[in-house]
Parts: sequence; C-alpha cells; structure tokens
Amino acid sequence: MTTNDNKLVTTRRNVLFGVGAAGSALATGLTTARAAEKQGGQVTDAPVSDKTQERQSFYGLHQAGIVTPRPAAGMIASFHVLAETPADVERLFRTLSGRIAFLMQGGTPPELDDKLPPADSGLLGPVVPPDNLTITVSLGSSFFDDRDWLAPHKPARLSRMKASRNDALDADLCHGDLALQISSNTPDTNIHALRDVLKNLPDLMVLRWKQEGSVPVLPPKPDGAHESARNFLGFRDGSANPDANNAALMDKIVWVPENGTEPEWTRGGSYQAVRIIRNFVERWDRTPLGEQERIIGRKKATGAPHGGGNTEHDVPDYSQDPEGTVTPLDAHIRLANFRTKDSEANLILRRPFNYSNGVSKSGQLEQGLLFICYQADLEKGFITVQRQLDGEPLEEYIKPIGGGFFFTPPGPQDESDFVGRTLLEAAGHDVVRKS
Amino acid sequence: MKLKLVLSVSLLTLAAAALPRMANAEVAPLDLVQPIADYKIYVSENLETLVTDTKAFTDAVKAGDVDKAKSLFGSTRMSYEAIEPIAELFSDLDGSIDSRADDHEKAEKDPEFTGFHRIEYGLFTENSTKDLGPFADKLMADVTELNKRITDLTLPPEKVVGGAAALMEEVAATKISGEEDRYSHTDLWDFKANFDGSRKIFDLVRPLVEKEDSAFVTKVSGNFDTVDTTLAKYKTADGYELYDKLTEDDRAVLAAAVNTLAEDLSTLRGKLGLN
Repeated sequence: MTTNDNKLVTTRRNVLFGVGAAGSALATGLTTARAAEKQGGQVTDAPVSDKTQERQSFYGLHQAGIVTPRPAAGMIASFHVLAETPADVERLFRTLSGRIAFLMQGGTPPELDDKLPPADSGLLGPVVPPDNLTITVSLGSSFFDDRDWLAPHKPARLSRMKASRNDALDADLCHGDLALQISSNTPDTNIHALRDVLKNLPDLMVLRWKQEGSVPVLPPKPDGAHESARNFLGFRDGSANPDANNAALMDKIVWVPENGTEPEWTRGGSYQAVRIIRNFVERWDRTPLGEQERIIGRKKATGAPHGGGNTEHDVPDYSQDPEGTVTPLDAHIRLANFRTKDSEANLILRRPFNYSNGVSKSGQLEQGLLFICYQADLEKGFITVQRQLDGEPLEEYIKPIGGGFFFTPPGPQDESDFVGRTLLEAAGHDVVRKS
Repeated sequence: MKLKLVLSVSLLTLAAAALPRMANAEVAPLDLVQPIADYKIYVSENLETLVTDTKAFTDAVKAGDVDKAKSLFGSTRMSYEAIEPIAELFSDLDGSIDSRADDHEKAEKDPEFTGFHRIEYGLFTENSTKDLGPFADKLMADVTELNKRITDLTLPPEKVVGGAAALMEEVAATKISGEEDRYSHTDLWDFKANFDGSRKIFDLVRPLVEKEDSAFVTKVSGNFDTVDTTLAKYKTADGYELYDKLTEDDRAVLAAAVNTLAEDLSTLRGKLGLN
C-alpha cells in the first residue's frame, strides 16, 4: 500500500511541477508543502531536528542548567527522599549522578534478556540522544531538617517557602526534599530522563509533584541579536537578567562564595527558588493594552521601557522619574528591581518556563509561569524581591499556587565525583572517590 | 455633607485623569460625575444592608442557632457580592472576609482562613457553631471596618466603570464552577448579586454609551437578560435553589453569557475615555 501511495504522489507531483530540480524552482510560495511531498513524508513521520546531538557537560565547579542558556523545554520534579542513613544518601547521590551523567552524554542502554523488562523506556529509541539535556539537583530545607546528622550542615539561608500575601498555595504542589530541574530541547527528552530516574531510584525517592513548561522558539535573527522569550502574558520575560556569560558577575549574583557565612561545602552552589504562578489569561486578554503596559512597566511589542528606548535592552532611568510619571512606581519591573547601587545586592538570575495544564473547574485555561531563579543569597535575592512585589497591581492577574526553595549543591568535578559529595564529607561521612 | 465633598473630589480626579486620553470625544468627563455619585449611593446602601445582615447572621452563630445561621448565609453575602469590586480595593479585608480555603496552604485548617467561608464550613460541613464565635466577631468587626473605610473613600471612576467587567471576571474565573460556596452550595445567590452589581454600573453609564454605540448597549442588555431569565428558573420563595440543581445546559448558558459580558464590558472604560 505504502509503495503504491508513494508512486501516486510521485506521479501527481511530476504532472504538476515537472521532475526534480525544474519542479523545485517553481512556485516558491509552496516550498513548505512541496518539501514535505518531495521527501515522501508521511503524516506520522517523526518531526526532524538537527539539535539532538547538542550536549552539555555534567562536570564542573557548578552544576549544569543554571547559567546554561535555557532550551525550549523545562520541568521541575519534586521528590520525597527515603534515604536516611549516610550510606543510603550516598547511594542516592551516586545513583542519581550516574543516571544524569549517562542521560546528558547520551548512548546505548544495556540490552537485557527479553524475558526481563528493558533497561530503558525506549521512548527516544534504542540510542538515547543528549538533546541538550541538563538535570540540576537541588535539596529542600526538609532534607536537612529531617536528618539529625545533616541538620548542622544546612545552608545558612535555606528555609521552607512561606506564603506571600497573594499566594494560594496548594500543599500538593509545594516544597520537597529534593528537586530536579530537567531541561532540554524537547519535552520528550525531559520525560524520558524523569522516567529513567524514577526507574533507577524506586527505593530512595518518591515523586511528589512535577510541572513541565516551555518557551516559544524564535527564528535566528540575521544580525545574531538575542531576544528574551515571551511569557503567557505576551511580554518579554528576562530582559533585565544579568549576563550569564560574565563569570565575575555570576560569582557575585549566583554562586555561593568562598569565605562567606555559608558552610564550606556549599561553595560553588546556588539557591534555587521555584514558583508555579498561575496567570488569569482570559482576564489579562480583556485588559486594555495601556493598562497592561503600565502594570508591567514595558512596551508589549518591543519590551522597551517607557519614556524612550526602542528595545528591551534599554534601561529605564528611575532617578529622573521619582514620581512615577513615566514608569509607575508600582510597575512590576520597577518593584522587582529598583536599579540603585543598593539594589544590586538583590539581583537574581531567572530561568523560567511557561506552563499550560488544562482547564480549571470554571472552564478557564490553567496556565502561567514556572518561575525558576538562582541566587547566591536566597534572602537578599528572591525573598527580598518578592517582598517588594507584594501588593503590585499585577496580583489581580496572577496567583502563585506552588513551588519551593532549594539549595543546588556544587557540580561534580569529574567522573569519579558525584553531586552532594561535599555535603557528605562535611557531615563526616567517608566518601571514596572511584571511577 | 460628605457626599458633596466626594463629588467635588471626584470631579477633580476626573478632569485631571480622563481628559487627556479621551477615546470618545462625545463623552465629556463631567458626564461621569453623576453616574459615579449615584454609584456611591448604591455602594453605601449595600454596605448598610451588609452591616445589618452580618449582625443578624453573626448573632445567630454566636447564639448557637445553626439552622437560623444557615438560612441567613446566602442572603447576607449578597450585598457584599454586589459591590465586590469596591470591597476588594482593601485587599486585607477582602482576604479576611471572603477568602476561600484553597487560598491557604493548610486549607480549612489554616489559621489564616477566616470570614464568611470559614463560618460556612463550620455551619454546613460540621453542622455546628462550635468554635465559630471568634470568627463571627472577626467578621462583624471586618465588615464594620469596611463600611467605615468605604464611606471615607473617593471612588476612582476607572475602578467603578471597570467594576462592571471585574464582577464578570470573578464569576468566570472562580464562581461558575460552584467552588465559591462549596459547603452551602448557595452559589446562585452570589451569581445574582454579582450580575446585579455589574448591571447597576452598566445601567448608570448606559446613556453615555447609547448615543455612540447603541448596538453595544443592546447586546450587553441582551446578555444580562439571558442571565436573569436563566437564574429566574431557580428562584425559590426565599432565595435560590442549591448549586447542584443547576443543569449542565443552564450552566453552559450562564458561562457563555458571563464570558461574552466580560469581553464586552472590558471595553466600557475605553468607550468612556477612562484609562
């Protein structure tokens, strides 16, 4: 049947367009349709990507997935950890690191006897592509609090997320002992990774909640310029993010420093704040454009601040606007970042995704922002920024419903190392480096 | 005395805020002064009723009269729901008077969960007034405080006019599902009050819009009528049927009317030249 169908298609194409190159020179408006036909594409053919071999390194002073440019698909999965003893926690960290190393590298899972369940879900095929995957491991406050031998080593600023005034937190979407941030080029790669982790650690951790997200993909710009992705409110999100390529800046804003007030084992790690923020998009779409732009503090089309500038990279000068006549004093971007010398201490590195989950009981879209940010000091970072935002006019259109605070340990140095080793050593647990 | 003062302040606010960005040259800012003043009276009347009704309701709770308290719950809320866009200007009070269990991480057990729905939970789910005394006192105090604050408030014109749509957004986002009064299922009382409150605003500014866009006025009125006709089917001697009596078809009719009203009324501010 398939062969016959192909012949039919070929014949029709030959009649319509002539054969081969001559045909492809015709009717440029039909390029896309014809390209599919030319390759003999079938409805259920897998979409093609030339990015499946993109690969990030698991090893380094810092974990991957923090200053790594955000790919199109992301997920946070939060777990309850059952490992209690140092030995079990070590097994958890080692196994997790081993799986992450394999998944980020890509490769062929072992072939088992077909009387046994397969080693891999197989959803990406017999050879697992890296597809730009990163998996970032972070630990919640309860991970330390619930283990006497770890409690003294808890990062100094790690706390359990408290509800802000506009929050309507759902206990089933909050907190966790351990969180994985999984991001890659496709949702399927993230799901594959999550299923691999679940299958390999069934006795040591149990999944509590997860939230997947994505960001809209843009075509490359001819001049190579970068633009911030848009959130589900239609505004650019991330315009004022600090430059992740600036290592000195990241040392200041993102990474726990040496000789600070934090336990030594945390050096090179970072605090992760996660928030699931529902957006009332129907209502937002029924809000006058001028009001939307006043609430956010930017022009919707370009992302430029009010009062001059053509791009999102232009910087508003609040010192010339003390009354808020240009950018309202309660505009989101103004409350989030005062742009003073002092407020530099409150900078955070955002890495959010948009999420869309289905339909609420009221028949409205359940969608919003899977907000993720990293900072060297959770209190000066997210907690302070959120406090500044409390009461902002945007609250009428958003409702945080979940999330949590976590600490992201430093990265594994090499193949003999694993995430969490420095913590175990600090707790007096003898760790043998083996390759 | 007070009304006069409010009027003159409103006038100034209007003249300053609305004039430069008029989208509709036919509606002069001064035209809005009377509707806003009339709305302020509507709000005051509702607040007066709210205080009186809340007193009777909380007295019944404190007297341990479960049946009486239950019977007063639906009607007591109506004057609050009718003026919700104004009541919500004070988010601290709105939270303590009208928040729902799912606004709080520990749901019904959360100490921050107070107000109408906390008492509703005790009355209808636990069928008791046990431990409700402090919640009743707090509700009465909050409602009294709300009345005081709003009496002293100059109503911002854009909030008043925007309130017509805001009420529809409330129904569309969180009420049409029957989640609001989940223990008592008196949601249809709330619907009625929300629609009446929205229609009141629309009716007050209607003459200003009618000249320019009579088709719009006809369409909006038609949708309000659809809602009234649908809700009327569920009218009882002393109020409304419980939410679970609402048929799937009627629920869809209401949802569509709410969404259409929300879409149309979201243009009302712009039509009146308000930011």
